[in-house]
Amino acid sequence: MTTNAFGSVLETLTRQRGVRASLIVSETDGLIVDATLRVGQDGDRVAALAASLFRKARLSAAAARLGDVAFMQMDAEQGRICAVGGKSDLVLMVVAEPTANVGLIRVELLKALETLA
Amino acid sequence: MSSDIQRWSDELARDPSSLAFLDLGEALRRDGQLDVALTIVRRGLDRHPENVDAHNLMARVAIDRRDFVRAAEEWQTVLRLAPDHVGALKGLGYICYQEGRLEDAERYLNHAATRGGGESVAAALDSVRRSSGELATATVDALTPSDALTPSHAQSLFADVLTDAEQTALLLDESGYVLGGVYLDGEGNDLAHEIGAQLSGISDEAVRATRHLGIGDWKSIVFETDVASVALAPTSNKGLLVVAASRATPLGLLRRLLDQCAMRSIHWLTDGTTR
Repeated sequence: MTTNAFGSVLETLTRQRGVRASLIVSETDGLIVDATLRVGQDGDRVAALAASLFRKARLSAAAARLGDVAFMQMDAEQGRICAVGGKSDLVLMVVAEPTANVGLIRVELLKALETLA
Repeated sequence: MSSDIQRWSDELARDPSSLAFLDLGEALRRDGQLDVALTIVRRGLDRHPENVDAHNLMARVAIDRRDFVRAAEEWQTVLRLAPDHVGALKGLGYICYQEGRLEDAERYLNHAATRGGGESVAAALDSVRRSSGELATATVDALTPSDALTPSHAQSLFADVLTDAEQTALLLDESGYVLGGVYLDGEGNDLAHEIGAQLSGISDEAVRATRHLGIGDWKSIVFETDVASVALAPTSNKGLLVVAASRATPLGLLRRLLDQCAMRSIHWLTDGTTR
């Protein structure tokens, strides 16, 4: 379910094999700007947690003098979270199956980020 | 834009031939605006080709961009203009160390030490000498478990796993303290403790996220920054393994390095060996 002009970006991401959800989230407050979710998924929870993780990675990298985080991927036993962020507050993220092609998802996320910029 | 950058930028705009480009370039470098810093210092060097500070600054910008070749060229130019320049000697010592040229590293750092390099040079020199000793020992004798758990071996825990000078790895305990590995900056300083403390917090966030999302335990995190690609993995003792490489390193290779360093960590933590 999408609610605004970001819909086509999210739908492109969701069409990738193994993608369970794609979201555009405000990194600052973890609130959903737009999302494509499977029925039964708690988008608010996914958005808040994934945004918090991305924010922590970004702040830690900056503190460690590694510069801005452009792409982040977390692998867990039963799922993956991939996220990209640019200069704005918006973070584009995908929740995927462990078997999803993360290389392709990364490329699509970076392309989508350019569309949003 | 910070006030310093604005101020020096205004001054340079008023007088393009002034040396304000040095302060502006340094402020931009510290702010992480490396491409802009590079452009400013390059233009400054066009007007002041024999300026030692400008070449030194260019080398520091190059190091931050992980361009070791350019950095070495600039510091060699500095030494041609000012043979006892401590910053250039330290910088070249650092590059040689990263490239595994330990004798050259020691020679540059020795020279810097005789010219008042201070504690940071002494510490870097100590690291290089320890590494030289370890490499020599490793080729002659297999490590025994008791040897392997000494501090000097801890620093070089991943030395033979990493494949080039721009890769680094750290093993952290549950509290973010360094157990093994080393992380040197462009000045030759070991930032392992600082980097470890900053990055260790990510694992708490990962645990929280995976628990609430019901996707099992986290296995790895990879992120790409302006200058580096970083991979993290939890260790058996609730610690954290960190592997960092230049941005040019393919993510697939980075993940293989992470796996290899993880295997090394497991052996080292369980039986003290580095097999």
